[in-house]
Amino acid sequence: MSAETGLRVAAEPTLLSARRRARLTRGAAPYALLAPATIVVGAVLGYPLYLLVQLSFQKYGLPQLLTHHGEWTGLSNYTRILHDSQFWHVLLRTVTFTAANVSLTMLFGTLIALLLARLGSFMRLLLTTGLVLVWATPVVVSVNVWLWMVDYEFGVLNWTLTKLHAGNFVHHDWFANTLSGFGVITAVVVWGAIPFVAITLYAALSQVPEELHEAARIDGASFVQVFRFVTMPLLKPIFIILVSLSIIWDFQVFNQVWIMRDGRPTNDYYLMSIYSFVESFRVSEYGLGSAIALTMVLVMLVVSFFYVRQMVRAGEAE
Amino acid sequence: MTRRRAERIALNTTGVLVFLVMIFPVYWMVSTAFKPGIDVQTFTPKWFPHPATLSNFTDAIHRPYFWQDVKNSVFVVCVVVALSAVLSFLAALALARFRFYGRKAFIVLIIAVQMVPLNALIIPLYIAFSNAPGGTQVNKLTGVVVAYLTFVLPFCIWTLRGFVMGIPQELEEAALVDGCSRFGAFVRILLPLVAPGLVATSIFAFIQAWNEYIIAYVFLSSPEKQTLTVWLANFTTNRGTAWGSLMAGATLTALPVVAFFVIVHRKIAFGLTAGGVKG
Amino acid sequence: MKIRLVAATIVAVALAVAASTASGASKATSITVWLQNDAQNGWADTVAQATKDFQKEHPGGNVDVHYQTWTDHLTKFDATIAGGNAPDVIELGNTETTKYMANGVFADLSAQKSSFPNSGTWLKGLKDSCTYQGKLFCVPYYTGARAVIYRKDFYAKAGIKGTPTTLSAFVVDNQKLMKKYGKDANFSAFYFPGKNWYASMAFVYDWGGKIATTRKGKWVGTLDSPQAITALTTLKSIVKSTSRASLTTDESHPYPSVVFAKDKVASFVGNGWEWPYTLDPKVGNPALADVMGAYPMPSHVKGRYMPTFLGGSDLGIPVTSKNKDLAADWIKAFTSTSAMTQIAKAGNIPNTTTLLKVNAADPKLAPFAEAAKFTWFIPVTPNWANVENANVLQNMLVNIFTGKQSVKAATTAASKQITSILNASA
Repeated sequence: MSAETGLRVAAEPTLLSARRRARLTRGAAPYALLAPATIVVGAVLGYPLYLLVQLSFQKYGLPQLLTHHGEWTGLSNYTRILHDSQFWHVLLRTVTFTAANVSLTMLFGTLIALLLARLGSFMRLLLTTGLVLVWATPVVVSVNVWLWMVDYEFGVLNWTLTKLHAGNFVHHDWFANTLSGFGVITAVVVWGAIPFVAITLYAALSQVPEELHEAARIDGASFVQVFRFVTMPLLKPIFIILVSLSIIWDFQVFNQVWIMRDGRPTNDYYLMSIYSFVESFRVSEYGLGSAIALTMVLVMLVVSFFYVRQMVRAGEAE
Repeated sequence: MTRRRAERIALNTTGVLVFLVMIFPVYWMVSTAFKPGIDVQTFTPKWFPHPATLSNFTDAIHRPYFWQDVKNSVFVVCVVVALSAVLSFLAALALARFRFYGRKAFIVLIIAVQMVPLNALIIPLYIAFSNAPGGTQVNKLTGVVVAYLTFVLPFCIWTLRGFVMGIPQELEEAALVDGCSRFGAFVRILLPLVAPGLVATSIFAFIQAWNEYIIAYVFLSSPEKQTLTVWLANFTTNRGTAWGSLMAGATLTALPVVAFFVIVHRKIAFGLTAGGVKG
Repeated sequence: MKIRLVAATIVAVALAVAASTASGASKATSITVWLQNDAQNGWADTVAQATKDFQKEHPGGNVDVHYQTWTDHLTKFDATIAGGNAPDVIELGNTETTKYMANGVFADLSAQKSSFPNSGTWLKGLKDSCTYQGKLFCVPYYTGARAVIYRKDFYAKAGIKGTPTTLSAFVVDNQKLMKKYGKDANFSAFYFPGKNWYASMAFVYDWGGKIATTRKGKWVGTLDSPQAITALTTLKSIVKSTSRASLTTDESHPYPSVVFAKDKVASFVGNGWEWPYTLDPKVGNPALADVMGAYPMPSHVKGRYMPTFLGGSDLGIPVTSKNKDLAADWIKAFTSTSAMTQIAKAGNIPNTTTLLKVNAADPKLAPFAEAAKFTWFIPVTPNWANVENANVLQNMLVNIFTGKQSVKAATTAASKQITSILNASA
């Protein structure tokens, strides 16, 4: 933060900045710029979001789907969730899962982005193409491929581990134990999320003037110091965005668990999104499913509050 | 000199290792696409497709509606990428370069919108689309385009805002002083500098729109209107899955994304030189 | 100024795009039919023929057949109900129908029952899945029965003559196979995934047990009955001694036929359609054609077979359909004797007992048709779906086979859970 503003402050007289602020405040320009995007999002999502909130206060099952009219039941869906011990287990599991996935994604994503910035152009193209390939693989397909890799009978992983004498992994069942099962799921999620984080961070890195790095290095800063005091502050806005996005996405992980558990996960593999989906589409309690989904949004807002605040403030620090 | 060289070797080795680890599942998909059925899953891994066959690819391509669905997917993706780039660039400018009433609320809203799980929106969205004022948007590619646009816009606006904020304002100031109109300054000075950001968000929008499944499946009914992911899902029946053909189909559908990337990747490299301008 | 220009351009482009892809209004005489993609891949010609027959009666009648996937078709169905444009005919799995029948989603077809082809001789198992509180809500489509698919060459080399006709002979034969081939850690004499609840419940019903029963208008889970416990204990010892399949996966992950095609499995409980699937060069091994055989799973009682679960499909007409008569006429064309004969030849059991001879004439289909003589079915109550959603039976089986719980403890817990789910108020 300080380095970023420091850079800017050094470059511009305070007087100019005060004048500019006054100028940018007035006028309809920002609204005109925002209008197209707002209209599209508002027109498409406004009514459905209103419906979603409405559903969460109603009993809405198959008969209500047919007549298009729900029965108002007040807060009963919400009280039912809060009194369901399963909800709290699922919530805790989801939060833990998200924390683990976001940290691992950011760690590996940043490392790979830094690596990309230092590679020669051929190697960089090779690695980025590889990352894009990973990203481009449809989730349904990639999850199935991972499922094969950890398969009980045919898995490459069991075969390799056994050949490497890491133990007897013949007929090792990775999903028999929930912890190792979630380990596999985490690997799939992080693997799939790394390309986006790495490529975006690399794009942001490429905006950082190389001169800054060199100047710092000439001054005798180590690699870690350069990263911490030069690179990181400049990357901070993008970094915060990526962390919050990762939180939002990992909190909603669905396909990876759903497909890996054969479309019928047992209770100990439930995450919030699965819980909401099962209540909606399997049990046909759309009111309850909506309430779970909205509770998810609230929890996410709380969990990511710190980052959201940072982002809202980020523009004002100048 | 030797230290530099050692460093280069170490970097390249790491790069190759990371590449191999990341690419392996993709490689497994592609190699499966070339394997005859009996070799798809084996007790002892078949690392290379030997004997290799192209029958999976011919089988995939000759499935009904392949080319029609390719066309549909290309149409959806092109419109989504183009519109999302323009709309999000404009909105990102507003958020990064102006202070105005409602700005905070807008940012929070854009973040919150992304938190709503897609599965929970299927029914409400379907109700809204089938009762849309201008006639039903169900079973129409435009409906899917608009839906995808709203899913990627918040992300694109948000990410681009970060990129715009990373560019020193003095550059536009200078252009303004030189007599450019404000919008001219934005376009001439900012646009090239934000190019890496635009590339990143376009890739994102491209992949989201290209790979989305559940909305496309639920909202598009007629086979001639479906997208490639829905076409892919038809490889799985109750009698099992033709994995070889499925992987061949998946390989084919992943190719355009890679092609798109290779075309635009120069823009990322361009970002590097843009950095030089700034300094 | 320029911003406005850009905005205007975007709106114009959006409008142009909207106009170019807008489709024509649907005709009043057109119906939409949802079939599962099994038909698309297996008997698409029969579907086309049914539409042709339908159009002879209704010239100009337009039939849009849309193929669906099993994983997501109910999601889509529910959405279209909510949006008011559900299809006119939909195929549902026979374990999926109850929830929709009980909630009034399907039109009552009781009055027209006799107008459907072969309605007097529909397979009981399928007819039951279309009947709720005495009324008929859908039309049986086709089904599949399970039998033991085995390797003739393995059996012969292990010194087994013929095929076993009692469960005890079956056990002895499997022991011979394990002795001959069992040193290979991947070999299974009888490949049985731990979550295969359809095949497991067959044991329970063979001993006279049941999943649940009604007493004084209330449902009671009965998997802890002595019969059920004996059955599951027997099954556990068979699985532990003759199967090397995963104890935590179900019968379609992977399909046992996939493993069977790789020379490491002597037998498995499979559906009729898994036979051609095993030989399909895309997924299996065509070389097995001469060494494959099938026989109905023998019962513990001599002279009987173990009851099989009839997994199949039905065709329903949602109450929202505006063309119910046309929809019914299309179903009649699609379930006619000639159409059903085609569907039977594609490896399925047709919806009528009068056509079982088609299956009996084909050695690849006969054992399955034979097995279909003894069947069992899930409790018909809308809450049953929630027992499946909660994976009660699968969890119980995994706990039994992995030894996490004794048979008694696992069945008692499962019974309790089933009782509470089935009696929960909707």
